[in-house]
Amino acid sequence: MTHEVHKVVKESGGFRIVIANSATSVSGDNKNDIVVDGSHCGANIATDYILPAGARGMIGNDAGIGLENAGIASLKMLETKGVPAAAVAAMSAEIGVGQSTYDDGVISAANEVAKKMGVAVGMTAKEAAAKMLEGIS
Amino acid sequence: MAEKKTIAKEAGGRKIIIADSAAAMDESTKGAVFVDGSHCGINVGEMTIHSGVGAMIGNDAGMGKNDAGIAALKMCDEKGIPAAAVAAMSAKIGDGMSTYEQGKISVANKAAQKFGVSAGMSAKEAADKLLEGLIKSGK
Repeated sequence: MTHEVHKVVKESGGFRIVIANSATSVSGDNKNDIVVDGSHCGANIATDYILPAGARGMIGNDAGIGLENAGIASLKMLETKGVPAAAVAAMSAEIGVGQSTYDDGVISAANEVAKKMGVAVGMTAKEAAAKMLEGIS
Repeated sequence: MAEKKTIAKEAGGRKIIIADSAAAMDESTKGAVFVDGSHCGINVGEMTIHSGVGAMIGNDAGMGKNDAGIAALKMCDEKGIPAAAVAAMSAKIGDGMSTYEQGKISVANKAAQKFGVSAGMSAKEAADKLLEGLIKSGK
């Protein structure tokens, strides 16, 4: 994993929305957080970082979706664990830059858990993160 | 957690190392050709430069807004580090072995081009060129 100081952009009911450039920087310190990051949403992001950290939600970059939809593979994996997750279009936000995901990102894909909380394709990442925060609170 | 790394090749005291994430770069990967499943964004550029890897191949993540998906390539060029990206439609992002075995180079920086890497080449061939180039350069 990598080390980053996460920016907290919103807090509600003991839960937070935090910004990270890389999902590899999440840890047990993020177990009450919706993590908005600049990473792709490939399979390893779920198995190696978001799930072990116990994060409560995730919004990343769809990385152009790519071969076998690998860029959003983690969404389904997180769905099976009940974790809301969504991705922003690679053309809407700069991959690798968490603040861009949050400020510029437009949702291109969301898992069923996120959809149940009101997250929808075409929504801004900022609004989607707020929906997730509300949904888990 | 410590990310898994696989040594795909060793020659002339150099290695080609495969990992799913650029976050696996560490002391043990110094001087190696590092092939990963990460995008080549700005933060990966920083990791690559700070880690001291010899060369890097990642995923272009569909290039994306402001070519953010390949921003690391220019950053590495400025430090003389050869770096290249494979097309997002050729390999599964987040899967380093897919980058290595399926990836087709979509863009290479000048330092990588000097070692013979070019767009359209397989990532495996590109990694071999980088390994050979690093051995010859002795850097």
